[in-house]
Amino acid sequence: MAQKPKVDPHVGRLGYLQALVTEFQETQSQDAKEQVLANLANFAYDPSNYEYLRQLQVLDLFLDSLSEENETLVEFAIGGLCNLCPDRANKEHILHAGGVPLIINCLSSPNEETVLSAITTLMHLSPPGRSFLPELTATPVVQCMLRFSLSASARLRNLAQIFLEDFCSPRQVAEARSRQAHSALGIPLPRSVAPRQR
Amino acid sequence: MASSGGELGSLFDHHVQRAVCDTRAKYREGRRPRAVKVYTINLESQYLLIQGVPAVGVMKELVERFALYGAIEQYNALDEYPAEDFTEVYLIKFMNLQSARTAKRKMDEQSFFGGLLHVCYAPEFETVEETRKKLQMRKAYVVKTTENKDHYVTKKKLVTEHKDTEDFREDLHSEMSGFCKAAEALNTSAGNSNPYLPYSCELPLCYFSSKCMCSSRGPVDRASDSSKDGRNHHKTMGHYNHNDSLRKTQINSLKNSVACPGAQKAITSSEAVDRFMPRTTQLQERKRRREDDRKLGTFLQTNPSGNEIMIGPLLPDISKVDMHDDSLNTTANLIRHKLKEVISSVPKPPEDKPEDVHTSHPLKQRRRI
Repeated sequence: MAQKPKVDPHVGRLGYLQALVTEFQETQSQDAKEQVLANLANFAYDPSNYEYLRQLQVLDLFLDSLSEENETLVEFAIGGLCNLCPDRANKEHILHAGGVPLIINCLSSPNEETVLSAITTLMHLSPPGRSFLPELTATPVVQCMLRFSLSASARLRNLAQIFLEDFCSPRQVAEARSRQAHSALGIPLPRSVAPRQR
Repeated sequence: MASSGGELGSLFDHHVQRAVCDTRAKYREGRRPRAVKVYTINLESQYLLIQGVPAVGVMKELVERFALYGAIEQYNALDEYPAEDFTEVYLIKFMNLQSARTAKRKMDEQSFFGGLLHVCYAPEFETVEETRKKLQMRKAYVVKTTENKDHYVTKKKLVTEHKDTEDFREDLHSEMSGFCKAAEALNTSAGNSNPYLPYSCELPLCYFSSKCMCSSRGPVDRASDSSKDGRNHHKTMGHYNHNDSLRKTQINSLKNSVACPGAQKAITSSEAVDRFMPRTTQLQERKRRREDDRKLGTFLQTNPSGNEIMIGPLLPDISKVDMHDDSLNTTANLIRHKLKEVISSVPKPPEDKPEDVHTSHPLKQRRRI
């Protein structure tokens, strides 16, 4: 079972987040890590927490967790990043910390939620206006999006389509399409696991 | 393993209710037992899937119940969706995402006509345009909220610095004389107040004479801009065209801090918004504010007995009337003197019992010989 640090109820939001981060770093239990990461990722949805999260370096914690073997941890970490990346300060931090390659790696995850969060994060990281981040519109990424746009999953199809329409130039899309015809298999499509029916 | 369907209206992983987590550490247990799940903007949707509705023909009641949380654009039953025996599955589309979020939060796990509802999002029903709009709104919301927050944070910093330099302020106030001090207070409050709270500039303005108003209006705007950009209070103070020596002492002693009752007022009026202040600090704040008001009042009214501890309302002075007779005047003076003695002796003992002061104070005052 996870440890139980003594937390004063009056310690406030920052104290609570600090306790979560500490537990994540110290615990040996995978369950506890998942719970704490999910908790942090949900906190990342609310902009009022961003100052605290930056202070506690939770953004780096999320980025580091992207390399974990546990797929659930990756899913929660990229979910957290997806939640907080529309904020300008957070976005800059992620870009400076070299987060883009890590997020692009998530596109090859077998977990559909991970892929969806990764696509959304990349979209939010793109600079405003029609200028594009070169890494985001590199051919492998565009090819990946092209394959996603043919997926059976509606959510994946929609997001991929928005990416191609809003965040790539038509020339890049055409180029990727023509190369795809010749290249070997690219990034595999994710699968979503649904339980058997009764 | 592929899902049982990519088609709409089939079972998806995110529709399945996860088991509640029962291994949470005590300090992070919430009020309701919850599963371990992360909600992102991708998962949330204006479309809600409602499972577990008893098949007793209650579609109308269901929709009415959900409509409490916001306008519903459309709704229909999902007949092909795998459902438990004797239950139905419905899809409800709300006009906006926020209503859907509220409805989900409130209605999930609620009892309805004998059944337990399971409410979840169904983003797979969105069109491309709806998804695009959803993402754009989320981004706009975050950007707007953090921009507003930045200004509250600036104000917060000013307040904490203000508390640190309380002593500085007291010294400064005692050194300078009436109007100059008022002008200085006006400068600091106008210059360092939150640009998003314009009334914080106006409050001290209406306290003091109109002489201050015209000259400080211009610098206020420039000051707000520069404080927004650089948070460099040296620069903001530099814009002022008042007494130079006054300004210099200000800069030297106060540096980056705010010190004036005006800023206090602005801060307390928006206290409820963002700040968490422990009760003892609130009491101290109120006491300090009372003292400042008193000091300002005394400066403007030139009260000779400036060191009195005043509790309760300031009663009007008894007017001195000449009786045109020496003995009568002596008597009157004696009585006045006695009254003054009695009044001044009252505050000392009941520092422990302020209520007694309030009640005994007017009693003694009204005694007539």
